[in-house]
Amino acid sequence: MSMMIETFNLTKKFDNLTAVEDLCIQVNKGEILGFLGPNGAGKTTSIRMLAGIIAPTKGYAIVSGIRPDKEAERLHEVIGLLTETPGFYERLTARENMLYFARFYDIEADSKVDENLQKMGLWERRNDKVGTFSKGMKQRLALARCLVHEPEVLFLDEPTAGLDPESAKEVRELIMKLKEEGRTIFLSTHNLEEAELLCDRIAVFRTRLMVVDTPQNLRNRLFQRKVIVELEEVNEKIINAVKSLDFVLDVSKDGRHLIIELRYFDKNRPELVRSIVESRGKIRSVFEKKHSLEEIYLTLIKEEEEMKHERK
Amino acid sequence: MRENKAQTKKRIINIIRKEWKCIFSNLNSALFVTSLPLIITAQALILIYLTMKFAGAEVLVKTLLGKGMENWLTMFPELESLSLIDRFQVFFFALFPFYLLLIPIMIAVSFATFSIVEEKQERTLEPLLATPVRTWELLFGKALAGAIPSLLITWFCSGLFIAGIVWIGSSHLLGFVLNAQWFISLFLLVPLFSFLAFMLGVISSSKANDPKTAQNIAIIAVLPILAILGVQLTGFIVFTTTMLLVLAFVLGILNFFVLHIAVRLFQRESIVVRWR
Repeated sequence: MSMMIETFNLTKKFDNLTAVEDLCIQVNKGEILGFLGPNGAGKTTSIRMLAGIIAPTKGYAIVSGIRPDKEAERLHEVIGLLTETPGFYERLTARENMLYFARFYDIEADSKVDENLQKMGLWERRNDKVGTFSKGMKQRLALARCLVHEPEVLFLDEPTAGLDPESAKEVRELIMKLKEEGRTIFLSTHNLEEAELLCDRIAVFRTRLMVVDTPQNLRNRLFQRKVIVELEEVNEKIINAVKSLDFVLDVSKDGRHLIIELRYFDKNRPELVRSIVESRGKIRSVFEKKHSLEEIYLTLIKEEEEMKHERK
Repeated sequence: MRENKAQTKKRIINIIRKEWKCIFSNLNSALFVTSLPLIITAQALILIYLTMKFAGAEVLVKTLLGKGMENWLTMFPELESLSLIDRFQVFFFALFPFYLLLIPIMIAVSFATFSIVEEKQERTLEPLLATPVRTWELLFGKALAGAIPSLLITWFCSGLFIAGIVWIGSSHLLGFVLNAQWFISLFLLVPLFSFLAFMLGVISSSKANDPKTAQNIAIIAVLPILAILGVQLTGFIVFTTTMLLVLAFVLGILNFFVLHIAVRLFQRESIVVRWR
């Protein structure tokens, strides 16, 4: 699998403020990497460095085989950037806006613009002034604009921020389509649900890269896997029976649910079920407790804050 | 190399087309671009006519303009055959190309100053900088987009002015007015000054954070261009054909350096990062 984005101790300082510190990350071809972090974490600065808009203070990056700080113009031929608040010439029509940007590339501008307007569902409104567009339509137009030259790598900075649920869903579906087309996407967001839905891997970032992995691996890494047993009725006899099992590390009750932490999640489950049944417990269902990405994210951020305090 | 040149040309034309669409899609802008030059031209004609009719040449001789006229005569002795009033008329008519510089300067202050600030305000600059467009192409395109229409309209106004000379009954003086200096001024100096004014406007626009500041910077930067008119009126310097050609050469070099400086001053990073 070839690498499309790779950074080596990428650092950006603005006077005394360090916005990005020693960022080392790799993104594979065709992958969507979710870049998660709170506001002011340095996500946009990182994207700007990767897109060759600003230069790093230290370190470097290679995007699609090109150094953004050395050959920004060549890089811009092969990347697409969706900025956090994409602007348009409001007095011009959607098609005129698109054509203006498309003509900076060595492509058949007219046909590519029409193709992308159709793809983004804006064909009917192509001759309307952008000033009359809703926020969702502008976001789709911005996506069309950054796709017009068929870039290999896409940098999407908060693509659904400020959109209503319906428009956000539409934009997410479009991003999924782009993934299916095999594009590499660097997606900055603080929408955790969106990250979980779209991304192959998640990078949690706050000035420094805290962790990067698949959502499932992050769960396993941060939390002990737990089993939830739903019963018709939970009583002391059942709880005691479960507690007496030597592979049970922890038991808690939540209404008609027992939340149990096992030593070996897969191996110990059948014996656990047998023990509950023998204690006359009527089992409705057994399933794994899923930790949301939000829990993962908040745990990581909290850990980082504690570490920061300790360092101080 | 040839491909690069073609690509550069394509990008600059693209910028010019877009700028024109933006200017002319706004009725106020379109009215300003078309009406201002007409007002400036009409004003010049009316002023010359009224000065000659009501002040008279005898009064003008006693003013600073009398000194200017004296110096003018030493350079152009052929004017001595004319009456005093005709000499003054030729003097004013000949200075008209310099007076016409007001048109590109005012349009530059009005439009060029908006060119980058507007991109910042509409948040189009960052997506634009993510395309392969080079900084110099962007600035050059924006300066040309303003300079070309203002130049065309300036030339159109000089045609109107000549028609005006005939209309006020001074057609017998046209032979003295339409000489080499007139044509060099109009077709060499005015374009070079126009581009300079627009380039200075674009520079101020890229350094400012709002249109008002950009306009203030531009006014300070471009007003010295008008000094050339003052210098001529007082007769302190009277431009001969050679002097005008030298001035044009210097201006050409100056334009090149101003474009170079504009590119150096256009710091993508601070524009993108500091703009909120």
